[in-house]
Amino acid sequence: MPRFDTETYVQGVLQGDRRMIAKAITLIESTLHQDEEQTQEIIGQLLPYCGKSLRIGITGPPGAGKSTMIEALGLHLLKNKRRIAILAVDPSSKLSGGSVLGDKTRMGRLMANNDIFVRPSAAGETLGGVARKTRETMLVLEAAGFDTVLVETVGVGQSETVVADMTDFFLLVALPNAGDELQGIKRGIMEMADAIVVNKADGPFEDSAKQAAHVLRSALQVMHHPRPDWELPVFLASARTGLGIDEIWKSMLRFQEVMMANGVLQSRRREQNLEWMTTLVREELERRFDSHPEVQYLMPDLRRKVSDGRITAVRAASMLMQAFAVG
Amino acid sequence: MKCKFFNKKFKKRDDGHENFDYIRSTQTSMRGPRRQVEAWSSKRYRIQTSVSSRKDQKRRKGMSMSESKKPSLEDWKAATEKGLKGKPLSSLEWSTPDGINIKTVYTKADVEGLSNQDTLPGFAPFLRGPHTTMYAGRPWTIRQYAGFSTAEESNAFYRRTLAGGGQGVSVAFDLATHRGYDSDHPRVTGDVGKAGVAVDSVEDMKILFDGIPLGQISVSMTMNGAVLPVLASYIVAAEEQGVQQKELRGTIQNDILKEFMVRNTFIYPPAPSMRIVGDIIEFTSKNMPLFNSISISGYHMQEAGADASLELAYTLADGKDYVKTAVERGMGVDDFAGRLSFFFAIGMNFYLEIAKLRAARMMWCEIMEGFGAKKASSKMLRTHCQTSGWSLTFQDPYNNVVRTTIEAMAAVFGGTQSLHTNALDEAIALPTDFSARIARNTQLILQEEAHITHVADPWGGSYLMETLTQQIADKAREVMKEVDKAGGMVKAIEAGLPQRRIEEAAARRQGNIDRGLETIVGVNKYKLKQEEAIDARKVDNKAVRLSQIDRLNKIKANRDSAKVKAALDALTKAAESGTGNLLELSVNAMRVRATLGEVTEAMEKIFGRHTPHTSTVSGVYGKVWADDPQWLDLKKDVDAFTAKEGRRPRMLVVKMGQDGHDRGAKVIASAFADAGFDVDLAPLFQTPQEVAEQAVENDVHVVGVSTLAGAHTTLIPELIQELKKKKADDVVVVCGGVIPQQDYDELRAAGVAEIFGPGTSVAVSARKVIQRIAR
Repeated sequence: MPRFDTETYVQGVLQGDRRMIAKAITLIESTLHQDEEQTQEIIGQLLPYCGKSLRIGITGPPGAGKSTMIEALGLHLLKNKRRIAILAVDPSSKLSGGSVLGDKTRMGRLMANNDIFVRPSAAGETLGGVARKTRETMLVLEAAGFDTVLVETVGVGQSETVVADMTDFFLLVALPNAGDELQGIKRGIMEMADAIVVNKADGPFEDSAKQAAHVLRSALQVMHHPRPDWELPVFLASARTGLGIDEIWKSMLRFQEVMMANGVLQSRRREQNLEWMTTLVREELERRFDSHPEVQYLMPDLRRKVSDGRITAVRAASMLMQAFAVG
Repeated sequence: MKCKFFNKKFKKRDDGHENFDYIRSTQTSMRGPRRQVEAWSSKRYRIQTSVSSRKDQKRRKGMSMSESKKPSLEDWKAATEKGLKGKPLSSLEWSTPDGINIKTVYTKADVEGLSNQDTLPGFAPFLRGPHTTMYAGRPWTIRQYAGFSTAEESNAFYRRTLAGGGQGVSVAFDLATHRGYDSDHPRVTGDVGKAGVAVDSVEDMKILFDGIPLGQISVSMTMNGAVLPVLASYIVAAEEQGVQQKELRGTIQNDILKEFMVRNTFIYPPAPSMRIVGDIIEFTSKNMPLFNSISISGYHMQEAGADASLELAYTLADGKDYVKTAVERGMGVDDFAGRLSFFFAIGMNFYLEIAKLRAARMMWCEIMEGFGAKKASSKMLRTHCQTSGWSLTFQDPYNNVVRTTIEAMAAVFGGTQSLHTNALDEAIALPTDFSARIARNTQLILQEEAHITHVADPWGGSYLMETLTQQIADKAREVMKEVDKAGGMVKAIEAGLPQRRIEEAAARRQGNIDRGLETIVGVNKYKLKQEEAIDARKVDNKAVRLSQIDRLNKIKANRDSAKVKAALDALTKAAESGTGNLLELSVNAMRVRATLGEVTEAMEKIFGRHTPHTSTVSGVYGKVWADDPQWLDLKKDVDAFTAKEGRRPRMLVVKMGQDGHDRGAKVIASAFADAGFDVDLAPLFQTPQEVAEQAVENDVHVVGVSTLAGAHTTLIPELIQELKKKKADDVVVVCGGVIPQQDYDELRAAGVAEIFGPGTSVAVSARKVIQRIAR
């Protein structure tokens, strides 16, 4: 892939050149060290132009209809004159490392519109890494003038936490079935949510969706919710009929207003920045550790010894850290 | 062409036979000499079957060994195992893709206890055929398809066929028409006139049937998506010839469920689409008693990769849902069931394909009895068959004549009512006059030279065939149970169940072929060093489009626009309220010269246009290859590229235009992902501009275009231009599918980096792609 100089990337993004936005995102996603360095330069220069969008995280169990929900929401936002960026992370196959990224097929109606930018990414080997990249991608799109960013995550593992940690509003999409112990949605995720939407409330599922919403509402009554001035709403929606979509959007705007007024949004972003810094440091440390020549030299032998039980894990770790600290 | 959809039409005759429009010369009824029969029934060849009981053996004890001891199955096993030198007997057995085990020998024991033994042709459950005498009374109908771009050309062809003794015509429409777009619509620039005739209005229909008396000639129309305006304009064209609705005879495919499953030429979502099917069944059963309202098709499922039992199960399950729809509207089963017809594909799995047709009839009879059908004609499955287009090869194409012959024999042994045999060049382009003649002659030789027609259900009583018929029926019943559990076919399709099953079967099969585990002569074995180019038909798509647009403009200038608006508004209103018959209202609109696109749009306002949710399977293709050295090399290349580039190779797989046959695209997407690519799969029906936009946004290394319907020479150069406009000329464009050799130079000149013909394995094409993008 051809690379460009930092100035070209920065100017391209600021001018809203779609190809340069795409190229900048590719650079962010790159696993090459020199690309990471250039990424940091670019982000540094773009940061003054960032921060003005509403950042929305969307999660839910597989099959809950997140993509169709995003498509419906996206179409609605277009009507409301918003410029929307959609980031979606598809899981990669553990076996081959490759993946089929299906979002554009699922969000077909959003395509070919200059006010929308959809970029699916493969999760790759490490989920945490992609999440960091998602944050930086989000910044690039903000700098390019998109005022609403939707980040979709697969409802498995710890990805929700990571996405919740980089967005202003966290929407949980639930299936229209009330049983199954709230569909295996973990309590922790419910606590992170700023709104819950029971999707597919149409046709034959309408009744079970209503019931699911009822069950969720009563479960929430006994749950402590950490946001002040905000009662967590449960919506019934259908991406197919458009039911509830406007309500959800209005609730997001109201949330933004309330949380700006009471300062929660600002402090949330400050905390997120601190978290971001910490993550960057940790990742850089890890990278340096892994590429340290002395560590690389000792590692195979020590691994063998630990696994054979010839030395303890504690001892081996301390030897490695010593080697790392020396130089 | 792999992507044609034929339809049958029958005309009820007094003798109870469906008369598919047929080409037939005088029927000869020579009897074959009897001598061979004597020779083979001599004592020496008589073999004892497994059930030889102890009593039999005891009885025989007194006789001399050489004459009396009939060998038992145990003896056969012992003798066979000796020859196998330590390998187990099961090493000779073969498992069909459906998972049915084909044994080396079948005996009487296999058929004992099977139900439906000793039935007769012409009687329920019709396992042995719908008619008592089958081909002895009259052979199957030879129904050959040919597609031409304009109404004028098609009309000339139909007239030639009819003058040559044919009794009906078969219309294939272009993809723009299928999807309800007028020829001037910007989404269909590459599709007009490809793979069939363009019809925008009654005027086109009138030219199509000019000089053809629609009261006498049966017309088969392969139409599912834009079924309302097409059927309506046919009705109006007839009306303006002075022919009444009740005189019209023929068939409309009208099988929308399989479109959602595999072929993708739908327009509206499933629920309103089913209403349309119901409206058509109702209208035709009232007003057009000689017209077959639906042709329930498994053909396209097999073409998309379904094995025989999946094809059988989903076709019958579709049929069940249609019957249910009609019954729920208050129609009596016996009022319409006799007008339901079927359409199956016949592939190279010889025994199993015969068994499939026998099982289909047996099962349909059961199903219809379940609906309370009383008339025999309601319970009797009558079918058209077509040899498999997918089984044809691009390489060494004369082999296709042999393949088609074998498949045709299976269709005939299975008891089909009519048959289309594919032309040898259909994997490359539309048939030429030469290839079409050979295809037709294949059937004539089977009918008139081989003496196959004298016996009804010649495989009846074969231990193998009776066993297999039962086994495939059992397999299909399992699949149908799964569908029932999902709440019927509409629900199952909405949940993506049959699509997933078919895709898995397709990916597995492709893996087996690419790896050489399944032999295809000339493709993965016995390959030619040098392929000889053969003549292929070429269509000038631009000229067709311009002349269609011209005609559309004239119609719009000369019609009463107030009347058109009123008729279209009435359609919209009926779509919204759920009352009124949509076919009747479409007839009114077409009569005042509304266009096909306008009628489609009038309902689209309410129904919306259906967007399919494409899913792909993963791991299936790669699993077949697992430890193959070629595959491991490919993965090494991918890893090396990833390490150097900082990300995985990323490919956008697309189909452009209105061609919905996405088996190839899906298999490619799934196989490349298994090889370690990140693959973006584009939505169906994209324009080159949309594809270029997506390639830019996703910053892919390469766009892979899958093309089957002949639109490539228009759309691929457009795509490359669009990429250039967006300064994305670093994106490599490759293509694959059905592309005649003669188009290669044109495509390369336009900037296509690689062209992968059918039969290129992913292990090979993916490596070439890697090399291209690494440059």
